[in-house]
Amino acid sequence: MGEYALLSILFAPFVGAIALIFVSNRQPMLVRGIAAGSAFVSLLISFYVFYTYDHIKGGFQFVQKFEWSRQLGISLHLGVDGIGTPLVLASSILLFAGIFVSWHIKDRTKEFYIWLLILAAATIGVFMSLDLFFLYFFYEMSVIPMYLLLGMWGSHTKKYLEMTDPEGLKLRDSVGFIFNFASNSKEYAAMKLVLFLSAFAVVALMGILLIYKYSGLNTFDILQLREHAKLMNIPVLGTTLDKIIWFLIFFGFASIAPLWPLHSWSPVGHAAAPAATSMLHAGVLMKLGHFSIIRVAFEILPDTTRELMPIAAVLCMFSIIYGGFVAFYAKDTKYVIGYSSSSHMGYVFLGMAALDYISLSGAVIYMFAHAMATGMLFAMAGWVYDQTHSRDIPSLGGLSNRMPFIAGCFVVACMASIGMPGTVNFIAEVMIIVGSWNKYPIQVIVAVVGIVLTLAYLFKMMRGLFYGPMDQKYSHSHDAVAVVDRLPLLIMIAVSIGFGLFPMHLYNVVRSGVDPLVAKVTYVAPVAQTTGTRREARGEGDSTSARPPLPLTASRGPGDRP
Amino acid sequence: MTFSLTLSPSDLLLLLPEIILTCWLCVVLIVDFSFPRLPKEQLAYLSVAGLAGTLACLGWFDFSGITGTLFANMFVVDRMALFFKMFVVAATILVILASIEFVHRFTFFRGEYYFLVVMSALGMMFMASANDLLSVFITLEFSTFGFYVLVSYLREDVASNEAGLKFFILGVFAAGLLAYGISLVYGETGKLVFSDMKSAQATPGLIIGFLLIFGALGFKIGAVPFHSWIPDTYHGAPTPITAFLSIAPKGAAFAILLRMFFVALVAFKPTWVLMLVAASVLSMTYGNIVAIAQRNIKRLLAYSGIAQVGNVLIGLAAGTKMGNDAILFYLLTYLFANLGAFAIVIAVSQAIGSEEIDDYSGLGRRSPFLAFSMLIFLLSLAGVPPLAGFIGKLYIFVAAIKEGLYTLITVGLINIVISMYYYLIVVKKMYIVEPHDPSPLTVSAPMKAVVYVGLAGTLIVGVYPQPVIDWVVAATMMFSDLVGPAASLPPIPTTLPFGG
Repeated sequence: MGEYALLSILFAPFVGAIALIFVSNRQPMLVRGIAAGSAFVSLLISFYVFYTYDHIKGGFQFVQKFEWSRQLGISLHLGVDGIGTPLVLASSILLFAGIFVSWHIKDRTKEFYIWLLILAAATIGVFMSLDLFFLYFFYEMSVIPMYLLLGMWGSHTKKYLEMTDPEGLKLRDSVGFIFNFASNSKEYAAMKLVLFLSAFAVVALMGILLIYKYSGLNTFDILQLREHAKLMNIPVLGTTLDKIIWFLIFFGFASIAPLWPLHSWSPVGHAAAPAATSMLHAGVLMKLGHFSIIRVAFEILPDTTRELMPIAAVLCMFSIIYGGFVAFYAKDTKYVIGYSSSSHMGYVFLGMAALDYISLSGAVIYMFAHAMATGMLFAMAGWVYDQTHSRDIPSLGGLSNRMPFIAGCFVVACMASIGMPGTVNFIAEVMIIVGSWNKYPIQVIVAVVGIVLTLAYLFKMMRGLFYGPMDQKYSHSHDAVAVVDRLPLLIMIAVSIGFGLFPMHLYNVVRSGVDPLVAKVTYVAPVAQTTGTRREARGEGDSTSARPPLPLTASRGPGDRP
Repeated sequence: MTFSLTLSPSDLLLLLPEIILTCWLCVVLIVDFSFPRLPKEQLAYLSVAGLAGTLACLGWFDFSGITGTLFANMFVVDRMALFFKMFVVAATILVILASIEFVHRFTFFRGEYYFLVVMSALGMMFMASANDLLSVFITLEFSTFGFYVLVSYLREDVASNEAGLKFFILGVFAAGLLAYGISLVYGETGKLVFSDMKSAQATPGLIIGFLLIFGALGFKIGAVPFHSWIPDTYHGAPTPITAFLSIAPKGAAFAILLRMFFVALVAFKPTWVLMLVAASVLSMTYGNIVAIAQRNIKRLLAYSGIAQVGNVLIGLAAGTKMGNDAILFYLLTYLFANLGAFAIVIAVSQAIGSEEIDDYSGLGRRSPFLAFSMLIFLLSLAGVPPLAGFIGKLYIFVAAIKEGLYTLITVGLINIVISMYYYLIVVKKMYIVEPHDPSPLTVSAPMKAVVYVGLAGTLIVGVYPQPVIDWVVAATMMFSDLVGPAASLPPIPTTLPFGG
């Protein structure tokens, strides 16, 4: 089982999607059953991988390599380290939960689950790819299902529906469509999302191709490239090649993260998407950006990363503050959560930018924690929308009488999102703040302000949705009573609180992935030494590392701070 | 120059596929005239049987490695020629299967339709083997001849007539350019066979001559600035012929281009690389940007075809064996995706009688099979993983980046995003917009077969391309003495070079 674990996690949803093609839409229970079954297989094996991952050994485990193309130097090289493992787990949890969240979709159920499974499988594929080609392959593959999921099962915002008139319809179909910034239609959101992400994906692809060319190794294999690629100190266009590649990779992948100036597709996309898609989108799709930056830029260009990562530290402040303020003033439930997500992704960038053992571990744990918290919020926003057909916060209110279970879960989700002790978010936030304090005190202050902002807008939304007077037209709305409706929320709450109370295994796993990486990035070669000795001296990640492995106890290494 | 016309049986063996097809062509014609009451579908299946036999014969040649030259090097059978012959024959089979329903629209000469299609295919098979300038001229005209008739086959349709006339006038003009170019080259070098010209000096006459020849071939493949016939001709021609025109002549013309650039002109590589870079950038950008504004699916595919040719030219501009492998691979993925897309266009136009993109509204509800297939084909054309088109584009980019063609790759990558927009517009119509008329559509069995072949090719090659890559690498073995991809460390550039 161990050998084929990753392959099974990756292919279970694909197999489910293929099986669904042959099932008729007239058997909705069979359709849901197949989807849930394949997601469950993925989930079980993800848990298996997560708990059998040997954090003392570290490095890439469950590695599998199949040659895919000799001439192009591509192989299907799968493996997870301490960074990929929790993210694979988060993806399969959210996929499983998402299938139950979308249990009541009536329109083209089969197609919905097919695209949802493909989306999740592609995301999982990125988290376990050790080959640049397949990283890009799965990354780009996750974008197209988003288009169909948003377009076919998404929803318009209120403003859009008011704008709908014959003239407007004509305008939306014209060439000017792409520049029609005022539109809030789901078509617009879907198209914007795909074009934006594809545009930046090809930027990253250019970076990948440059790495491929200048390494001269005729391979896309990340493990080989990080050992042997010599990309430093090649002068190009008045700067050096490694900087150009780093910029291409960083901004190409940061768009999906989404870093501040590149975020504009994200809230629009979240708002238009159906609940399960928003969950996957905010929960794991956005983490593809951070993950890919870590996997490509940190691994292959460590010295350039050390030099240029302050850029992320500057931009993440804008992410945190801008996202927080827009979320505070937004009137649409999904916009609030969408901007809140893009604000929270700034914390991950802060944790990454500080290049410290604690802060980077915090960033990785935060990705996991945020997946659960934001997944819950989106699931509940979706439930409220399904019941009331409204996402307009001022017109809603008093729903706690009608849906006490949802209101209760919402409180928990808000607590998790804020980072209340007892949830895994707390651990992550504290680690990011503590780890980056020495290097970026201003950013840490901004981050704390961001937490206060989170508190403000989430409580404001909670009050707007669940308390105060209720409009009579919502009096027929229902609580989540059935097991299938409660199950996804309970799973995510259990994971969030479970890891919040017992974080040690998660922490150890993440540390085992982060330690060699940070050691490698922060290692500054003495000036006199040549490149060869420098590479040997630097910790190279795997168990073959020349650097003595860090002791995996509470106090470790120079980067550790209380 | 003397031609030896003493042919031994083993020489004739090299011509076996063409001989089989020629004989079969006569059989088809005789059957058509002898049994006027025979349903014309039978003729279609008869033609397909002959083509399948030819394909089998070509496959046997390729498998057993039968190669050689004939008629004093005019006609060459090597693995690349066999590849392109198989390419053309496979495209023809799919086009004939896709035409069976469509042929009912023709008021006259339904039987001759199949004859003309197969005859064009025969011409293109000879094109794939053409190894000197004379045979280039003859085979090119031979294959175009059938198309002149086929494009205007819908006699009552004004658009079809206009398309035919436009194609004819511009085609004859291109033939004139070709003949003039050949005369200039022959006047300068005294040689006609490509392999004899390797040592030619770059005189102005020679360069102008080759430019004219490139113009004529550029007309065939529809590269900017020789593209002006494409939109109207594609729009007006009967849709199966549009499909045929959009793929088979391009394949055959690329066979000639490869021989011309890498055998005859290999010494002038730095010069023609610049020319190809310009043609490629213009084709990609022009094709993709103009495609955005199209309302008719055939015109959209026409412009997308111009852009795709621009992509193929990137591979040609790379000027290495790997670039040539990538061209062959790309054309193969293009064959599946493009013919598949056109098959859907034919099926939809049979069912609802329209080729406007607006009328694709709600296709996802009316016929999930057609809509899903169209989605796959369009995404493959756009270059989205895990479909074959993505691997094709990546292969070309990898070949080009090894040669440092950064400008081309940047433009190519930007164009992927642009093209995604207009392909997704069609997807949006099919899946997101609700249908005006929700009645389900029916698809005929041969059409389904074509779509299934397209789907299988697009998905299988996309997920596991290694066998196809091995095949194309073997097919271009003749170019293995070209300057290979940079062996170890590439030279350190101080600036980003434009072109080569």
